[in-house]
Order: sequence, then structure tokens, then C-alpha cells
Amino acid sequence: MIKSGWMAALAVSLGALAAPAFAQDKPAALGVGVLTFTSGPAAAYGMPGKNAAELMIDEINAKGGIAGVPLKATYVDEAQGTQGVIAEYRRLADDKTNQVMIAALSSANCLALAPLAEQLQAPTIGWNCDTHQLLLDGKSRYYFRPNGNTIPEFVAYALYLLQQKPDVKRIAIVNPDYAFGHDAALIFKTAMKALKPDVEVVAELFPKLGSANFQTEISKLSASRPDVVFSNLWGADLENFVRQAQPRGLFTSSQVVLALGETVLQRVALPEGVIVGVLGDGWWMSPDAKANPDTKSFVEAYQKRYGEYPVFPSVKMANAIVYMKAGYEAAMKKNGGKWPSRDELAEAMRGSTVKTLTGTTVTRKDNDGLVDQIVGVTTKSADYKFPVIGGMVRYKGDALMPPQGEDAIKWVGTLTPAFLAAQPKPGSYK
Amino acid sequence: MLDTLIPLAVDGLASAALIFFVAVGLTLVFSVLRVLNVAHGSFYSIGAYVAASIGLWIAGAGLNPWLSFPALILSAAIVAALFGPLVESCLMRWTYGKSEAIQILVTFGLFLILEDLQRIVFGVSSLAEDTPMQLLGSTRIGGVVYLNYQLLLIALAALVVIGLRVLLTKTRIGRLVTAVVADREMAQSIGINTNRVFILSFSLGVFLAALGGALATPTAGAAPGLGAETMVLAFAVAAIGGLGQIEGAALAAIIVGLARVLAIYFAPSLDAVAPYIVMLVVLLIRPYGLFGQAATRRI
Amino acid sequence: MRVALFLIALAALALAPVAAPWLQFVLTLAIAKGFAALGVAVLLRGGLISIGHAMFYAVSAYAIAFLARAGVNEFVLLLLLGTLASAVAGLVVGAFLVRYRAIFFAMLNLAMSMVLYALISKLYGITGGTDGMRVAVPSFFGITLDKPRFDTALYYAGIVLMVGVGYGVQRYLASPLGHALSAVHTNELRLEYLGVPVRVVLLIAYTISAALAGIGGAIAALAIGHILPEFAFWTASGHLVLVAVLGGIGGVAGPFIGSLFLEVLHTVAVGVTDAWNLIIGVALIGVIFFLPSGLYGLIRRRSGEPA
Repeated sequence: MIKSGWMAALAVSLGALAAPAFAQDKPAALGVGVLTFTSGPAAAYGMPGKNAAELMIDEINAKGGIAGVPLKATYVDEAQGTQGVIAEYRRLADDKTNQVMIAALSSANCLALAPLAEQLQAPTIGWNCDTHQLLLDGKSRYYFRPNGNTIPEFVAYALYLLQQKPDVKRIAIVNPDYAFGHDAALIFKTAMKALKPDVEVVAELFPKLGSANFQTEISKLSASRPDVVFSNLWGADLENFVRQAQPRGLFTSSQVVLALGETVLQRVALPEGVIVGVLGDGWWMSPDAKANPDTKSFVEAYQKRYGEYPVFPSVKMANAIVYMKAGYEAAMKKNGGKWPSRDELAEAMRGSTVKTLTGTTVTRKDNDGLVDQIVGVTTKSADYKFPVIGGMVRYKGDALMPPQGEDAIKWVGTLTPAFLAAQPKPGSYK
Repeated sequence: MLDTLIPLAVDGLASAALIFFVAVGLTLVFSVLRVLNVAHGSFYSIGAYVAASIGLWIAGAGLNPWLSFPALILSAAIVAALFGPLVESCLMRWTYGKSEAIQILVTFGLFLILEDLQRIVFGVSSLAEDTPMQLLGSTRIGGVVYLNYQLLLIALAALVVIGLRVLLTKTRIGRLVTAVVADREMAQSIGINTNRVFILSFSLGVFLAALGGALATPTAGAAPGLGAETMVLAFAVAAIGGLGQIEGAALAAIIVGLARVLAIYFAPSLDAVAPYIVMLVVLLIRPYGLFGQAATRRI
Repeated sequence: MRVALFLIALAALALAPVAAPWLQFVLTLAIAKGFAALGVAVLLRGGLISIGHAMFYAVSAYAIAFLARAGVNEFVLLLLLGTLASAVAGLVVGAFLVRYRAIFFAMLNLAMSMVLYALISKLYGITGGTDGMRVAVPSFFGITLDKPRFDTALYYAGIVLMVGVGYGVQRYLASPLGHALSAVHTNELRLEYLGVPVRVVLLIAYTISAALAGIGGAIAALAIGHILPEFAFWTASGHLVLVAVLGGIGGVAGPFIGSLFLEVLHTVAVGVTDAWNLIIGVALIGVIFFLPSGLYGLIRRRSGEPA
């Protein structure tokens, strides 16, 4: 590592001078820039992503890389702040030995990097860029999002909640104070009101990202006596929230929905009956995942290497790498086995259908991915020390996705009780 | 009416208690050393990390869980013993009498060093150990369930205010500190060992910051970035109260705590802004804080 | 000797992106932060330390983002208006703050900047909260450029500005107003007895320093293309003071030298070690104790002139 920094800097400067515009010869290595949180409170979510990336890349390289070209990843820590992230992204993308970027975790960084990907014409896979504000203009050519967006992710929770508790009236929301939290609140509220017009929002709180104390928020939530508490807090914030809210009775007085609850199942003791999901289909114990030998070996290797089971961010990252590999294979097929340029790679990913570790992702013409949504409730498990997801449902990805080019929030507002009735029921996915 | 007011008051005091410990440490150090220690927040987060580590060790070793209470205080004492004398004598001492710019920069340098040291020693993932909170259970007040641990923190904060006042006015060392605060040169000339007073006061400040961090871990855990956040909040409280004023810090902590709680209840989008708005309003009206006095101008 | 050194440094700066294109972005940011650090250095001349100066950096950056959103789409106009916004903010804030000295001045600056930081990170509907805002690529003197070309133009514009504005600041510091500023530091009361309106002297200095931070914020906003509340966080202000002191406040070039040195070192160090803050912290303390006039002082000494 110590040497490689200097070498990389040297290689960057030399490479930039020497690299031809259309690199059709097979390179010695395929450079991949991977952006995730490896420090700070968000590392609780980001490290599983990095772990998965390392594991997947090692396994691909052990099998000879992509068409004989080994992968070489450079990891960038998003905790250094968006300014630093942009600088690092530019540095990596300007270096022609890096052909593809996998970025990023935080929606703030995704929003900042998306225009940059277009300007620098660098194929970029948003491995965790869920905010629906991304790709809004439909003009993205280089930025891809194979793992789905916030609309289906949070509509799914509204559906599941109403299927489980049809007479819910009072809802409270406690989400982190940035695009992801505000988007989720808006989508969840809009969907709930469309599907059941008499619901009432009794509290809506947006604590700062990275808050350690939620005591006052919990008091306010308790005092407003909600039937449901919905939250898309995550990482250390979510752990702290659960740790503080549970002894204060919030989980018994209200039905709690933790959109990212799966990520903390192995870390804090969640009670039974909490509605949780994986923002997509990336549940490593889902029937589809269990039926896929690749997924099984991924989970085993992950557990062996890191001492814990993967969480859905790991699966999202792994799927992003599967997606990238499929993109290369498709591009090479198209141009007769020659190594593809950045443009050819982007071309091949557009409109592709890729089989991932946990399902299928279909990339639309606007570079947005369609993936199924798995939701369930926490259930005690005989096989594991931590609770798992039971009572699962798998909603179809395209059913919950607004048509291309349509105003997403307006579309959510047009959902009807009949739409709800037509969806698969909790417990139907087993 | 009372049903809303009581939770408001309890929440306000609980949130005040958490920030009070670290703010009063900052203000104490300033009153004796005349240095605004920008690295003070780091001692809070180090205290949190050490307390969480020791707590996890106690839980892992299967010792009596009630040991986790004295362990919180022990953690703060360890941090104070480790950093207090060292930082004071190797770093702070060389800045006394220098310009504020230099004092602030030296402590800012220390802040940068301590932030990285924490990352190197404790890693990047968050640490939490909630035995003390679990042991104490909860109480229903005005329709809202509170942790008894929160109530304990309020009591502890009150105890620290009284304790510090007694320490400064009734004990020998306290009177020495007061003498040094009043007139450093004079104290020195009548034979007071000012170096010892400095080391003790600074270590006590570090202890209070670390205690704040340690006491926060059972509910909030320790995570990277805590130091920088805590620093400004502690600073806001100390400035509102008047730098160097112990009771001022207590009152300011309550004001800031209540302001945050009111914001969360009635204007949730302003919760993080509230402490700073209070600080700005107070400082614009009383630039030296609620209890502070203008410094005399040197010629 | 000094002129030769200066010209060599400028030439190296102008040619650096040709040799290593990735350096251009880093150097653009270094120049931007250099301007803000120069603002801090101006105040340090008067013995005033501001640990809130990043707020003016942010004011200009956000002003540009709002203006760009409202349809202002010309680099020159954006730069001027952004700087103006910071200068006006500096004038208003300064009018309150020049009454205070020492630690209270530092604290009030911090308080102001944290109010601004908290507001822009909480007003999600207006400022985009912690997600920040995008800044579109404007035209450059009426010419529409793609992003890479604009970045190059911005870089060279930054160098030109650095020289031009730097010269202006040097003239200001050498003027009676500038001397009065230094005199505030050494003996304020005597200045008052001489009939010099100390607060006016300080207010002018404060406004100039805010405007300088504004130029920096404008360049940063346009170079990054995305602005964030963290621009105004107190640690950013701390870093500006750090850059100023590390570079040396003895001359106008000091803060720029400090900034360029730090940014380039940072870029190299990121690949080598992740204990960057630790290194910077130790270096800072070392410079304060052993090299009180900063890197600039070192260079001046080496080039055979008294520091």
C-alpha cells in the first residue's frame, strides 16, 4: 500500500499522457474505483459493501478475471466528505486504466457524482444510489442504477403494512435529515394516503444524520400515540434508535417499520414482529438466494472471511459487481471478443437484463433498474442467534415502478386500494 | 397541559445533563488556564470509547453487571490520568500568555491528532454497551416512558454542579485554584505552585469531558466524528453561560436543552439550529455570556 | 532573486496540469482555499483570529448556486456577485464583531458560522440540506464550454486572480490602512489616542477578508460543481487558520503557498497513509513552535532576505 500510492500517482500521470483514446487492446488489469464508507458512523453500512466487493473481486480474479483480465480495485472512503469524494472520483476517472466506477453509498454523493460521470464519460454503477431524484431527467448515459430506487422500495412498505394491519390510522415518521430520509417520508406518506385515504400523519421528525441521541424524538413519538412508526434510519443511527426506543416501550405501543432493519439484525436485539426488508431483493436467505449455488457459496465465503453474515448492502455491492461483469461480457460479445471501450461498456449495460445473486435486474432505457422487493417481519430463528425475516412477500419490480418519464410522486398518488388488493400477500414468498 | 409540560421538562433536563458535563469541563479549563481548548470534545469521545470498551469487557468476562456503573467513572478517570498531566505539561503550558490565535491553533492541532489516534486505536465502527441502562429499567412520567438512566444523569449533573462549587470554595486545593484564577502572578508570588494547579485543573476538565462521554455510551454508544460535534455544542453552552462560569454552564445547558426539545416538539426542522440561535442571541446581547464579565483591556 | 523565484513558481503552477492533468482540480481547490486563508491572514495581521471564516466561503458558494439556479449563467458575473455577497455579509457581520477582541472575537465568529452551517443543513427545502446543491457549468466570458474546458479556463483564471488580487492585498497591507491594522495588534489604545478610528479600520479589514473568502468559495463552487453545508463547518474554518499559519502570514504569498503545499501533500499522502490528520496536527504544532513565520518565512530566509 505504501508504495502503491506513489506508484499510482506516477502511473496516473504517465497513463494520462500515453493512453490512447480507444483502448481496444486488453489491458494488464481492469481498474475499478469503488466508493463506499469505510470510516465514520456510516461505515456500519459501508464496510459490508466493501467486504463484499473485495470478496467478489478476489473470486472473479481466482477464476481468471473478466476474459483473462484481472480486476484491480481502488477504494475511496466517502466519509472524507463530498468535496474529497469528488476530487478522488475525478482523479480515478481521469486515469484511463480505470474503466468503471462503482459509486456510491450516500445519496448526497450520488447526486454530486452523477453529472460528473456524464461530463467525464465514465461508466458508473450506483451500487446504493437509491434516491429517485437521481436519473430524473432520463438523459443519463453513463450513470447506471441496477439496484432499484426509492419509489418501489418504500411503496412496498406501505403495501405490506396495509396488508398486515388494514386499519392503521395514525402514522409517525422518523427519518434521517437528507434526501434519502425526506424522499422516503414523502413516498411512504403519499402511498399510504393513496391506498388508505383516512390515514393521518401525527409526527414527522428528521433528526440529523449521525445523531447519537434520539431520546427527545422518542418522547415526542410516544406522546403522539401513533399506530405505526416508520423509519429509514440506518447504520449506527438505527442501532442507537433501537437501543433507546425499545426499553422505552415504543416497539410494544406501536407497529414499527424499519426499512433498513435487516442491516442491524446481527448487531442489536430487534424484537419480533418488526416490519423489515432489504430495499430490493437482496436477502441472502430468500428462497431464490438459497436456490442459487453462487449465492450460497458467496454467503459461506463471506461468513468465513468476515465472521458475520452478509447484510443487504453487501448483496447490493455483490450484485453491482455481477452487473459490471455481465456488462463486459455482453460488450465483448457485441464487438467480437475485443476489449470494450468505456462507451461500448455503457452501451452494453443500457437496456440489459442481468441475473444477479438474488434475482434479476432489468435496466430500462433511462438507466434505472427494475428489481423485485422483499418485505417481511422479524421472526425468531432456530438456526441463527439473531432474528431473521419471516412472513415474506416478493413484489414484482416493474409493478411498483412508475413508468419511465412520469413524475414519480404523482404516480404514487394514483395508486388505489384495488392495486393493493392485486398484490401478492405476506407469507406468499417461501 | 401538564401532560405536555412534564415530558418537555424531563426531556429538556435529560438533554441538558448530557451536554453539561463536557461544557463545564471546557469552562473550568478556560477559567484557570485562560485557554479555549478546541480539543476538549475529543476527550469526550475518547471517554465514550474507553467506557464502551471496558463495558464490553465486563460483559464479555461475565463479571457482575452492576460493576458497569463504577466502570463508567473509572473510564473517565483513566482518560484524565492518561491525558491530563501529559497534555498540560507538554503542550498547553507552552501556550500560556501567548496570543489566542496560537492557543487555538495548538489545540486545533491536538484535536486533529486525537481524532486520528481514536480511529487508529478504536477503529471505525461504532461501539456500544448498554448494561447500565438495561439494569435500571424505566418509569412512566406524564404518559411517556422514560429510562431511569436518563433520570440518573439529571441527578448526577446536579451533583457535579454542587460538587464543583464545594470543591472550589471549601477545600484547600479549591481555594488555590480560585486564587490562581483571580490573579496568576500574585498567586505565584505568594508561593502557590501554579504548575500543580494547572495540571490538576486541566485533568479535572479532561475528567469531566470524558465522564460526559462515558455516561452517554449506555444509550448512545461511541462512534467516530463524535468529538467534533460535541465540541461545538459544548462550546455553545460554555459561551452562553459565560466562559469560566460553572453555574453559568449549568443554566446554559438547561436553556440549550429546553430549546432543542421545544424545537423537536413544535418546529422539528429547527432542532439542530436551536442551540446556535440561542448562542447568537445571547452573545449579541451579552457578548461575555449570561454570567460572564468583560475582560479588562491591556495597555 | 525574489522575482525570479516568484516567476518560476508561477510557471510551474501554470504547467503542472499539462504534466499531470489530475493535478489541475487539486490545484484549483488549493487556490480557492488559499484565497480564504489569505482572508484569515489579513485579520491575523490585526491580531484577530476568526474560527468561522468558512462561513464567507460558503456564503459565496451558495450565492452562486442560487444565482445559477435563477438563470445567471456567466462566470464573470457569478464570481463578482458571489464575492459581493460575501463582502456584504462580511460588512454586516463585521459591524457587530469589530467591537470584540481576542477569544470573544474568535467565539462570535464560530457562533455565526455554526448558525449558518446549521441553517443550511436543516433548510432541506431551500438549500437541499446536507445533500447540497448542484452548480451548472456557466459560460466563460460569453463562451459556452464543456466541463473539462471550463475547468481548465477556471484554473488559469484562478492563477490570474491570485496574482492580481494578491497584488491588491499587498498594496492594501502596505497602505496606511494596512499599517493601522497591524498597529491594532501591537497597541490598540495608542492608536485610539492618535485619533485613528479603530473600528473602521477593523471593519474594512473584516470586509476585505470576507470578500477574499468569497472569491475562494466562488472558485470552489464552480470547480466542484456541487456545494455542501460542510463548507461552513467549524473544522473547515479551523483548517483555513491552519493553512494561513502554516504558509505564514508575513506576506500575501504565504497562505497560497500553505494551501498549495497542503493540498498536493494531501493528494499524495492519501494513497500512502490514512493518518493524515495526525500528520497535519503534528506539523501544525511543530510550525507554531519552531517556525513561527511559516513556510513563507522559510522561503524568504533561504532566498537571502530577512524573514
